[in-house]
Amino acid sequence: MTRIWIIFAGLAVAGLVYPFAMPGMLSVAVTVLLFAGWATAWDIAGGWCGQVSLGHAAFVGLGAYVVALGQVELGIAPWFTLPAAAALAAALAWCWGRLTFSLAGPYFTLSTIAVAEILRMVAINEDWLTGGAIGVFISTLPEPFGIDLFSREAQYWMALAFALGTIALVAILSERRFGYRMRAVREDENSAMAAGIDPTATKLHAFMLSGALTAVGGGIYGIFLSYLEPHVMFYLFLSVQIALTAIIGGRGTVFGPAAGAVLLVGAGEVFRTAFAQANLLIYGILILIVVLFFPRGLVAELTRRIARRRYARSAQSE
Amino acid sequence: MPDLLRASELTVRFGGLTAVDAVDLRVGEGEVVALIGPNGAGKTTCFDALTGFVRPGAGRVELDGRDVTALPPFERTRLGMARTFQTERPFEDLSVLRNVLVPAFLRHPRRAEAEALARSALERVGLADRADQPASDLNLARRRRLELAKALALEPRILFLDEVMAGLNPPALAEMIAFLRTLSDEGMAIVLVEHILEAVMQLADHVVVLASGAVIAEGRPDAVTSDPAVIEAYLGTE
Repeated sequence: MTRIWIIFAGLAVAGLVYPFAMPGMLSVAVTVLLFAGWATAWDIAGGWCGQVSLGHAAFVGLGAYVVALGQVELGIAPWFTLPAAAALAAALAWCWGRLTFSLAGPYFTLSTIAVAEILRMVAINEDWLTGGAIGVFISTLPEPFGIDLFSREAQYWMALAFALGTIALVAILSERRFGYRMRAVREDENSAMAAGIDPTATKLHAFMLSGALTAVGGGIYGIFLSYLEPHVMFYLFLSVQIALTAIIGGRGTVFGPAAGAVLLVGAGEVFRTAFAQANLLIYGILILIVVLFFPRGLVAELTRRIARRRYARSAQSE
Repeated sequence: MPDLLRASELTVRFGGLTAVDAVDLRVGEGEVVALIGPNGAGKTTCFDALTGFVRPGAGRVELDGRDVTALPPFERTRLGMARTFQTERPFEDLSVLRNVLVPAFLRHPRRAEAEALARSALERVGLADRADQPASDLNLARRRRLELAKALALEPRILFLDEVMAGLNPPALAEMIAFLRTLSDEGMAIVLVEHILEAVMQLADHVVVLASGAVIAEGRPDAVTSDPAVIEAYLGTE
């Protein structure tokens, strides 16, 4: 447990130093941090509780639209609309979970794709609310204490706070009762019930928390892009990327999803500049390598091997 | 003394098959009741109906005078029922300690208290030195004991054990019998489904014999095993 907080402190320091060390590379960093936060949030449901969603773009889009429309249409500042977006996302997750958690694993996953698609259709067609396919443009933002929220620096700090906050929350939950309930439901629902755990309630709570956090990141994403269109926000590929980031990094681990974000987004960026047209090919090969050699994801596989070695050593020394 | 558990006219049907047929069962505080019978007699289904994993088509189950027939398994666990599974189901990816932490959290929301309880449950079943090992590494006898530790960490009033002794070698079997004896002496009510008659004879206060889902005999262990109807159900008629 203390080891987790030492790593966390290291990440926090790296995050604080980064903008001073690499001031010209903030956009990539914001993307990495947003994906780190999203993948960590996704993993609450997908990794810890075993409910794989391929519709998390729904929460991203919901968060982005709530923040953007709150600002543009109603003049409400992001710090009021971000909590509202989280609450709305939790409500959406509740309704969605109520309807679909009676479905077995893969069917739940399929239903998540449908929900994100439905929201995309709503965003395209209800143009009185969302600006339709043209989208929403955030042209003004309040300036708290004279801070320009359009600046990359301000966006970097928001994204950093989002990523670190999400990781910290997961680190805390992982060793508390709720963390153990989620693990039990993931491993075996009958055994979980025999341990007095209500699987449906546990899944619902995990999904609501996962969605709410993702929506907060979505709101920051909206500010970062300052231009929202349905095809970007509710994009199926975004959902897949979030899930993939967590899976590659290591499901059900505190730092795995964030490590996945550094690897996938970072590598994606490097490949794009280094290999031009071939970048998706290289990207695909990278994913294949991880899946082949680290089937549980990078961090999960490493911690497992370390734990086994440590156990073997302690067993030998007896 | 009032019954802790009472099942009346408990019936489970799967399509046209009546797996459990109007079974009555009473278990008092600290009493050990064994359910025995030939393969396919409906013992495990009866168990599942008692613990809520199968919905009975008719009849009722009462715990401490409260009707729990409509309650899902996790609610019954909260009221004091704990069960093991015939094919033991540890949370394979978790360490032995974490396996027991899951149920320990039921009555102890605080981590430190839950962990203390989990460790003492492991101590009781003799797995304390394996707390950090992955559950998937345990052999059969230890998996059985892990299942038992998980059930004990729920601090139950009544323990349902589904063939916890099957497949154990003689020393492990003797240990398990002695351990269950201790639990029962401490006042734990136990319902056993068991094939091993030796264990049943040593442990049970009351034996219920099922055949084709129905109770064909019940009583004290020695009386039941000499009952001609029981011998016929097990061995068939000549």
